[in-house]
Amino acid sequence: MRLSTVLRFVGPSAGLMLLLLALPLAVTFYLSVRNCAVQIETVTVTESSPFGTKEVVTQRAVLGPDGRPVTTCRFVGLEYFRKVLGVDTQGSTSPDASGSSAATNHASTEFQGALRFTLLYTFVTTPFVLLLGFALALGVNHVAQRWRPLYISASLLPFIITPVVGALAIKWLFRDNGLVPYFLSQFGVSLFWMAQAWSARLLIILYGIWHVVPFAFIVLYAGLQSVPQDSLEAARIDGANAWQRLIYVTLPHLAPLFIFITLIHLMDAYRVFEPVVVLTRGAFTTSVQYLTYYILLQEINPYKASAAAVLTTAGISVLLIPLLVRTWREHRRTG
Amino acid sequence: MTHRTLRRSLLATAVLLASLPGLSHARCNTLVNTKPGQINIVSNAFPALDHIGKEMESCTMGGLKVQFKQVPSPQNEVEILQAFGSSGKSAFDAAVVSMGTFTKLQSAGQIQPITDLVNKYKAKYNIEDNMLVKVNGEVMAVAFMQNAQNLFYRKDLFDKHGIKVPTTYAEMMTAAKTLKEKEPSIEFPIAQTFSKGWDSATEFSNIFAGFGGRFFKPGSAAPDFNSDAGVKALETMKAMTAYMTPNYLASNSDDVMNQYQQGKAAMGVLWASRAARMDDPKASKIVGKMEFTAAPAAVAGGKSATHLWWEGVVIPKNLGGDRETVFQVLMEALDEETTRKGNDLAVWVRSSFKPTRFASGVAASAKAGAPQWPSEPYFGLAHGEIGKVIPDVMTGAMSPKAALDAAAAAYAKAATEKGFLK
Repeated sequence: MRLSTVLRFVGPSAGLMLLLLALPLAVTFYLSVRNCAVQIETVTVTESSPFGTKEVVTQRAVLGPDGRPVTTCRFVGLEYFRKVLGVDTQGSTSPDASGSSAATNHASTEFQGALRFTLLYTFVTTPFVLLLGFALALGVNHVAQRWRPLYISASLLPFIITPVVGALAIKWLFRDNGLVPYFLSQFGVSLFWMAQAWSARLLIILYGIWHVVPFAFIVLYAGLQSVPQDSLEAARIDGANAWQRLIYVTLPHLAPLFIFITLIHLMDAYRVFEPVVVLTRGAFTTSVQYLTYYILLQEINPYKASAAAVLTTAGISVLLIPLLVRTWREHRRTG
Repeated sequence: MTHRTLRRSLLATAVLLASLPGLSHARCNTLVNTKPGQINIVSNAFPALDHIGKEMESCTMGGLKVQFKQVPSPQNEVEILQAFGSSGKSAFDAAVVSMGTFTKLQSAGQIQPITDLVNKYKAKYNIEDNMLVKVNGEVMAVAFMQNAQNLFYRKDLFDKHGIKVPTTYAEMMTAAKTLKEKEPSIEFPIAQTFSKGWDSATEFSNIFAGFGGRFFKPGSAAPDFNSDAGVKALETMKAMTAYMTPNYLASNSDDVMNQYQQGKAAMGVLWASRAARMDDPKASKIVGKMEFTAAPAAVAGGKSATHLWWEGVVIPKNLGGDRETVFQVLMEALDEETTRKGNDLAVWVRSSFKPTRFASGVAASAKAGAPQWPSEPYFGLAHGEIGKVIPDVMTGAMSPKAALDAAAAAYAKAATEKGFLK
């Protein structure tokens, strides 16, 4: 094939990938090594509001001739990465050297805590998502044909619901006087779900499983439809029982799908965000993605937030390496 | 259903739907110099703003369409700061902001003055002087409501057990102790917004100010909240948790409101904008039983330990739409009729507002000396760092002093990055 022909075929998709995947990443990285600060001046102004008029000394942006704030940008290298990770060693830039080490320690425990919970969430939810999704798929596969649409739609509900809405619904079930604490109290169990680390974490993990199992289910259910019937029949004739047919015929057939689900879920789980914001507001359960959000929200510093975002992306890549290597090998073998 | 009745009912529905816009009242029919198109407005989400949003969206005359986007706090601030701060045109033509957000936008020079428009339309919309937020004489925002966190308390239970309405946090805890011992329906007497981040930092700010604390060294952005007053404020908060649901670290305004409405908590300091919901029979089991007064002081004889806020509308400097049209739409929705129709929903700034008992807490707090919410543009950074460490103090993982020192150091770094500290 001529090179120009190859380019014409591959070009559009390569272009799209560059535009939608590589470019945003590059821009985020570009932002993360810079800092733009507005030039600040100290001024005395008269402020009037419904509460009266007063004179205040305050700081404000210096405005340029176009009426927009004058900003100065500079290259800061990996400074923000060090700050997010809490390995900032340039304590001398802070006006208070002793406090700076306290801040560094806190930043590092903050990031470590977030990373620890994110990984816990990722690795605990993944097997449950696969197992329960598969169980559900097998179950629905055995339901009479006419009832299947009903079962499928019902099973998909948690996945269809907007994450924030789903998390809110779950929160209302578990908060004070919610249905679950009430039900448990009937058995003499008094549990406050957001009150201690283990239950707050468990709650978010339960939410994660509930939300993603339908995805695993629908993929595996589709896979089950394509299991070769003649192989199953041959196994039956050879005397394999139902368990053996499942282990030696069905599961190997579905293996690529299991890998696919794991791949997608690892990426999603590492970016866990909505349940953290809605269910616990980050108490005991800060996630890596939540840290990025908090930097953007409270520090209003998109450059530092970009560094956190780049770190999140890097974390996902590390997690995915084993699976990607496996998929690559598979392709080479079959291709 | 026969074919004919089906056709009839479809026809009836169509007629009804077609007549709906006509049913809405004649809002916006006297606008001048308008440019047709869509106007996007962003806002926080709470009952009074739902009301204003409906008024704004009913402005459909002359090819106008108003999209009122409500984003719960504190996420709304992120959207507003991003839109107003973008180098292109702002995604929003106007925003409903609280004082805290206003301060940040104003200090960044991202709001446009509207003095000329206010003067032009002052008489038409009866824009009162009290509503104008001015900086050096230029009108930067039009305020329409006040808000404050004030004391909510169950008058019926206080009367039943002969408890005096607390005027200090110490008295509040004594009252809570009595209720916890004597009132079988109340297991956790106090409910306040102690959730990690913005909510608990705001509670801290209130009590800290009550102890006479100063957030920054005079005339500078250097932190000063890791002081004795800061430690005392955190100790007070920690003492309160003994009377709160163990879920307090996740309790935001919605949760606290729910605990009051369900009759599970008997007192606490909460936003006045939630007061009217106590008497909403659809959501509340305690209709008519909750009363409102000044937030308690931190020390006996001290000022009410809360802050006064206003909510108002601003127009971005990087506005994409037509400023005169946007301004008129805003003023239409903030007119006297809106105040009258939503009288009980907020403490409106307009003089035509008739204060109800729901508004009594804000007035009492103001009378008891509650200060305005801090207007230093770097205050948000300090607030954010404080909000991060409070849970560690509440659970005992960190001492108050160590936590505040860590927050102060982290704040100093953030403020340096933003150029507030040299």
